[in-house]
Amino acid sequence: MSNAFVSLQKLSLAYGSNIVVPELDLDIVEGELIALLGPSGCGKTTTMRAIAGLMAPQSGRIYIDGIDMTRMPANKRGIGLVFQSYALFPHLTTFENAAFGLRLKKLPQAEITQIVERGLRAVGLDRLADRKPAEMSGGQQQRLSLARSLVMQPKVLLLDEPLSNLDARLRLEMRAELQRVQKETGITMVFVTHDQSEALALADRIVLMNNGIIEQIGTPDELYGAPKTKFAADFFGFENIFEVEGNTIKGAAQSLPLGFESTSKYLAWRPGAIDVGVGNFSGIVRGSAFAGEQREYIIESKIGQVHAATPAADPSYKIGEEIVFDFPQDHSLPLAR
Amino acid sequence: MSSKWTSRIIIGITLTFLIGPFLIIILAGLSAGDFMTFPPDGISLKWYLKVFTVESFRASFALSMFLAVFGTIAALILGIPAAYAISRYDIPYAETIKTIVAAPIIVPGIIVGLALLRYLVVPLGFTVTLALFLAHTALVLPYAVRVVSSSLNNLRGDMEEAAVLLGCSRIGAFMRVVLPNIQSGVLAAFILGFVTSFNQVPVSLFLSGPGVRTLPIDMLSYMEMTYDPSVAALSALLAFLSVIIVFVAEKFLGFSRYV
Ligand SMILES: Nc1ncnc2c1ncn2[C@@H]1O[C@H](COP(=O)(O)OP(=O)(O)OP(=O)(O)O)[C@@H](O)[C@H]1O
Ligand SMILES: [Mg+2]
Repeated sequence: MSNAFVSLQKLSLAYGSNIVVPELDLDIVEGELIALLGPSGCGKTTTMRAIAGLMAPQSGRIYIDGIDMTRMPANKRGIGLVFQSYALFPHLTTFENAAFGLRLKKLPQAEITQIVERGLRAVGLDRLADRKPAEMSGGQQQRLSLARSLVMQPKVLLLDEPLSNLDARLRLEMRAELQRVQKETGITMVFVTHDQSEALALADRIVLMNNGIIEQIGTPDELYGAPKTKFAADFFGFENIFEVEGNTIKGAAQSLPLGFESTSKYLAWRPGAIDVGVGNFSGIVRGSAFAGEQREYIIESKIGQVHAATPAADPSYKIGEEIVFDFPQDHSLPLAR
Repeated sequence: MSSKWTSRIIIGITLTFLIGPFLIIILAGLSAGDFMTFPPDGISLKWYLKVFTVESFRASFALSMFLAVFGTIAALILGIPAAYAISRYDIPYAETIKTIVAAPIIVPGIIVGLALLRYLVVPLGFTVTLALFLAHTALVLPYAVRVVSSSLNNLRGDMEEAAVLLGCSRIGAFMRVVLPNIQSGVLAAFILGFVTSFNQVPVSLFLSGPGVRTLPIDMLSYMEMTYDPSVAALSALLAFLSVIIVFVAEKFLGFSRYV
C-alpha cells in the first residue's frame, strides 16, 4: 500500500516457542488514531512492543514512513510508547521525567524548559513539576507518562491502555485530551484497549484482535453495526448468536423452526432486538437486572440461553416466570463464520 | 505472667551471649596490667593508645583496608553487571551461574585458601598481595551479586525500555535509570562486602606471607608472641568501627532491607 504510514507485513511474533501472533498484516494511514482492541492475552502489548522495537519479530517486516524498521534499534525509531505500567523513572521529578528524552537530544536548557512546561500544562501536571512519581496518584503518573512521550514529537505514538487507571470523569477528560492532542499534532497514534466503548468513542479505525489474529478492521460504525465474525459480533454486543439452517435455528440440544428463511450460517441479535411477550419461543427467566433505561433478562429455553432486554417502562418478569419471545428477521445480523 | 517472663529471660540470655564477649573485650583492653585478664587488672587507656604505635598493626591495617576497599570495588564492578544480566536477560544456565558465584561462601574458607595458594601463588608465582586481592574479590562477589540482585528485582524492567525509546542506548539506560535507582543497594553491598573482607580469616591465613598479613592474621600472630591487652583493645576498636558503619548504613540506607 502506497499511502500506509505504518505497515506491518506478515509479522510473526513469539516468546520462545510460544507463537503469540502468527501472521499479522496491518496498514495505518498517517495521522490516524487506531484502537487495538481485544480480550486480555490476545497479543496487543506484544504487537506494540514489536512496532516499538523492543521485541524482534520471528519473521515479517515493519515499515514506518517508507523506511524498513524491522532491524532498526528501538532508540533510533522515533516511536513513543506509553507503557501499561507507566514505567516512570522513580528517581526523577515530574519535570525531569518529561525532560529525559529532550536532554538526550542535547537541546538547550531554555528550549527544554519551554517544551516540558508546555507538555506538562497540556496534561494538567504543571503544578506538580517538582514531585517524584511515588508522590503522585495513578492517574497523574499515567498523564506524566503520556507527556514524557508527547514532548518527543514521535512519528508514531503507541499507548498501552492509556486510560485504564483513571476514574470515570478523568477518563472522559483524558479521552477528549487525547483526541485533541492527536488532531492538533497530527501524530499517528495506536492505542490499546479492551474496552469497546473507548475504542468506539476515540478511534478513526478499530483493529479487533483475537488470539493474535485480526478478526476485523474498520471504522467504529462498521464494527458496531456490521461485525463480520461471531467473535466480533459477540464483542460488540450481539449476545445471541445461533447457527441456522434454512428456517430452523439450531440450539445445543434441539432445533426449532424460525419464522423466516435465512441463507447464512449464523444469525445474531442484540438483547434489545429480541421480541418479548409474543412469539413462538418460550423459556424460563433465570436472571433479571435493572439497567436504568432497560431491563435485562437471561432466559433459559430449549435452544439454550437467550439474552433479552425490554424498555424499563414495559411490564417486567420475575425470575422463574415463563416468558415467550421471538427472533425477528429485521435486526438480525447474518454471519458467515 | 509466665510467658512474658520466659520471653524476657530468653532475650536476656541471647543478649548476654551476643554482647557479653564484646563487653569483656572492651574491659579487658582497659586493663592497667600487662596481661589479658578479666576482670581487668585496674583501669587505664594505655593499651588502647599502644595499639596505634605497633608498627605491624599499622601495616596490616593498611593492607586490610586496601583489600576491603579495592576488593569490594572490584567485586562490585564484576557483580553489578552479572546481577543485571541475570535479572534482566534470559541467560541460559542462570541458576548454575548463581550457584558458581555463590561457591566462595559455600566452600569452607580453608579450602579456598589452600586452593589459591596451591594453584595461584605457588605454580604461577602470583605475589601474596595479588592473591589476597583476588581471594577477597571472589569472597565478596557473592554478596555483591546477591544484594544488587535483590534491589534490581525491586525495579521494574520496563523503565529501561522506556529510556531506550526516549533515545538511550542499552548501556545509557543502565547508567541513567538503573544505577541511580539501585544506588542504596550498591552502597549496602559495599558495606557488607567491606565488613566481610575486613573480618576474613581462613583464606587470608593461607595467603599471608612474610611481612604481608591482614589485620586479623596479624592479631593472631601477635597474640602468639605477646599476651598483653593491646589485642583486646584493638578488637574493641574494630568492633566499634563496624558498629558505627552498620549504624550509619542502617540510618541512611535502611541497610537491613538488603541483607
Ligand atoms: N514475556 C513473556 N514471555 C512469555 N509469554 C508472554 C510474555 N509476555 C506475554 N506473553 C504471552 O503472550 C500472550 C499475549 O500477551 P500480551 O501481553 O501481548 O497480551 P495483551 O493483549 O496485551 O493482554 P492484556 O490486555 O492483558 O494486557 C499471552 O498469552 C501471554 O501469556
Ligand atoms: Mg497488554
